[in-house]
Amino acid sequence: MVRLSRFLLKDAGNVIDKTLSEILVCPLSKQPLRFCEKTKSLVSDTIGVSFPMKDGIPCLVPKDGKILEEESEASKA
Amino acid sequence: MRRINSIYGRIGLFKRISEKSTKQSHTFLASHSFSTHGGYGGDGELQQNNSKVKIFDRDLKRIHRDRAAWLSSRHKNNSFVDAVADNLLDRLEDCKKSFPTALCLGGSIGAVKRLIRGRGGIEKLIMMDTSYDMIKSCRDADEDSLGNSIETSYLVGDEEFLPIKESSVDLIISSLGLHWTNDLPGSMIQCKLALKPDGLFLAAILGGETLKELRIACTLAHMEREGGISPRLSPLAQVRDAGNLLTRAGFSLPGVDVDEYVVKYKSALDLIEHLRAMGETNGLLERNKILNRETALATAAIYDSMFATEDGTIPATFQVIYMTGWREHSSHQQAKRRGSATVSFRDLHKQFGGQSES
Repeated sequence: MVRLSRFLLKDAGNVIDKTLSEILVCPLSKQPLRFCEKTKSLVSDTIGVSFPMKDGIPCLVPKDGKILEEESEASKA
Repeated sequence: MRRINSIYGRIGLFKRISEKSTKQSHTFLASHSFSTHGGYGGDGELQQNNSKVKIFDRDLKRIHRDRAAWLSSRHKNNSFVDAVADNLLDRLEDCKKSFPTALCLGGSIGAVKRLIRGRGGIEKLIMMDTSYDMIKSCRDADEDSLGNSIETSYLVGDEEFLPIKESSVDLIISSLGLHWTNDLPGSMIQCKLALKPDGLFLAAILGGETLKELRIACTLAHMEREGGISPRLSPLAQVRDAGNLLTRAGFSLPGVDVDEYVVKYKSALDLIEHLRAMGETNGLLERNKILNRETALATAAIYDSMFATEDGTIPATFQVIYMTGWREHSSHQQAKRRGSATVSFRDLHKQFGGQSES
């Protein structure tokens, strides 16, 4: 049953695990993250940094984060 | 607003915004105590007293761990790492408590996952590592094995900047991962904050006696061939420091114990291959990036001549320090308040003394 649902989610690939979404916060500011549908990344609004998600696995190493200063539309999406 | 280009500089930005908004409470104060030096570097105008010492090259460690992920898929038999993980997980059997949510920090997460076997009542497991390839190979290994009743989530993150909300996990396990952090007290403080009250922190790190034979052989070979030495082994914790680390991080009921494992190899080069497969090769910032072929051969020869056993194999010592700590909770024993004693030492001495007049 678990394997079947994982197979279905594999195509989605951009849904965050429910456990993770309750527990994760930004590694730098410790504030909650927002999942941005357009760029498939986790955005930390307080400091304006977005962390990518590769193949359904969030990459929250500070070095991987991208600063989004100019694209204020992206942060509002 | 000034554009701050470094990610770490954005911490300062966040702190300044936080001063304006008054609704938030202790979470902002908590962010000040995350690392031992109170700032993350970046802009000059922030008050940085940047005493954070960078000993290890964390980016290089990521690359090492990527390589370890590829190598260990061939090297299935890694008994040392399995023994350490087993020892760590055995401690869960000693507790009456069960830990439904557990976080596993990098090091040998594959071994920990494989060897849990239902101990500790773990239902949800979160695996975290700095290297994406390592997490990927863990996830693939997980899909191959059937009958996995633990719900596992995967996450790429840095132990020094833990992306876990406060008071959200019951158990944190770190098997042979924390000895590569630059700021060990800071990491432990963040781990403590991530734990729920009455949560358990279990860690295994390598101690000062590790690979002492290799250290001796390297130093001798370098002195002979190159006339000087450069650091080849990372600075490792001593047992007495481990206790201090736990109390400094604020854990209650701390416990430390040490174990020594002697692993035998056919030759010094096998030892190096094994270290590569575990991701434990040199990651110091101060390292000499060049290794002379002659020096390497001289090291192997010295190792052989000084430490070889009768049957031709060479031993390598790994000293592992196991640390245990709990997040404080009202049910833990506390020291009694000063002045609340009901019996004086004189009475005790009268009762039991007499034999020893010291």
